[in-house]
Amino acid sequence: MYSFFRIIRFALQDIVRNIGLSFMTVFVLVLMLLSVNTLLFIRLVTNEATTSIRDQIDVSIYLSPDATADEVDEVYTYIGSLPEVTQATFFSQEEVLQNFRTLYKDNENILSSLDELSDNPLGATIVIKTKNPADYSKVIDDLSVPEYETIVESKTFTDTQGAIQKIDVITTNVEHFSFALTAFFAIIAFLIIFNTIRVAIYTQRIEISIKKLVGATNWFVRGPYVVTSVFFSIISVGIAIILVYASTGFLDPYLGVVLGDSQFLTNYYFSHILSLAGIQFAIVFFLTLVSSMLAMRRYLKT
Amino acid sequence: MIHLSSVSKQYSADSVGLADVDLSIEAGEFVSIVGQSGTGKTTLIKLLIAEEKPTSGTIEIGGWDISRIRQADIPLLRRQIGVIFQDFKLLSKKTVQENVAFALQVAGEPYKRIRDIVPRVVEIVGLKHKMDRYPHQLSGGEQQRVVIARSLVHRPKIIVADEPTGNLDSINTEEIMEILKKINEFGTTIVLVTHNRDIVNQLRKRVVVLQDGKIISDERHGKYHLSAT
Repeated sequence: MYSFFRIIRFALQDIVRNIGLSFMTVFVLVLMLLSVNTLLFIRLVTNEATTSIRDQIDVSIYLSPDATADEVDEVYTYIGSLPEVTQATFFSQEEVLQNFRTLYKDNENILSSLDELSDNPLGATIVIKTKNPADYSKVIDDLSVPEYETIVESKTFTDTQGAIQKIDVITTNVEHFSFALTAFFAIIAFLIIFNTIRVAIYTQRIEISIKKLVGATNWFVRGPYVVTSVFFSIISVGIAIILVYASTGFLDPYLGVVLGDSQFLTNYYFSHILSLAGIQFAIVFFLTLVSSMLAMRRYLKT
Repeated sequence: MIHLSSVSKQYSADSVGLADVDLSIEAGEFVSIVGQSGTGKTTLIKLLIAEEKPTSGTIEIGGWDISRIRQADIPLLRRQIGVIFQDFKLLSKKTVQENVAFALQVAGEPYKRIRDIVPRVVEIVGLKHKMDRYPHQLSGGEQQRVVIARSLVHRPKIIVADEPTGNLDSINTEEIMEILKKINEFGTTIVLVTHNRDIVNQLRKRVVVLQDGKIISDERHGKYHLSAT
């Protein structure tokens, strides 16, 4: 029990008496955490942006005005049963006509032409969304069968197929890139932490050998470094969280223009604050602890 | 107290630390180990504190065979031997009293006992007025006195001193040797490695001469010499 309290006291003493080294270690840890948080936000914003772009893509299936109610129902039910389809919205002939009139309310020529027709020239429409943009071509293929040839008048997909494929390629590439960037930065961060701790331990190698010389066990020597790792982790995560929170407030108005949510980052940060802080603490503590144990190993052999 | 039996230490094929050394040191003795550089004096000290293990032979300290000592038992051994080095080996970020107290803290001694003993031991080496100084605020002689206080604080039966006066002027050397003699008078065995001819000659104690890793002379009341007589 005496040893436990002594280890804590020695750790705090070491931090204060090596204040320059302590400050530099915390500074590097904070920089590493800021890089990781920046990447996290880039991934978050990228995901949100690609999801939002994908959400805006849909395909309209225009049904023939001559199709019977049963035929329309059959096509609608069939589309709804396709596994790729996440949403199928049905617009009746009347709704389509109403929407058309609203869309062209300022165009007298079109409206007067419509009025001259005795029957509604527009057929019902089904607007569909799929899980992935690549699924649209499969849905269109499923509808391009002889049974539906007279019912389905046209599909807008042909016009937008190129655009959808481009968006799909771009969003997928952006996701892969941000993942690769995150992995790359994680490796760099680990190497920086490992080297920072290694330098810190190297400067104390003589102290370690002296402690061993007067009869300290390996754990009595290691103990203060474990406590120091906990302390550095808490401080660096705390500082990083404060800085990141301040920057979310600064960035949100700019992101709001693109994402349509003026509090996107702040809301995300608040709703995930415990998990973010916990995971970051665990990672920093693990890295500093493993680094210090590995760096110290050779000096404990004497 | 200390018994070395056929002890050899070979670092590599052409580097011999000690070669088939037999040596017995009884409790309360003051033994000076002399010899030219590279003759095995420091190897002997390293073997006594288990910083190195012998290639062959056995080393017993107080009946404990330390030649094959387990890693976990080394701290226990070192808490029973006081060690003094030429380069002091003080913890630079700890004060005089913290350095001395550290030797007790590693052994798990209670706070009260440490508070009682440390000032008394620091007083013995004449540094009570500098208890709160850091090593860099002390002279070489004072630093060596702190080391002696640290090695004394857990009342060891043996003190091993490797060139304790190597970095000191003549006045400080004399002071340190006076302290070591007093410690020896109280019954502590002292093993002193030195190059200082005057110290050895003034002591008039046992002198062991090493050459090429072997004991070439062992005299009960010897004088400093480097070859067999």
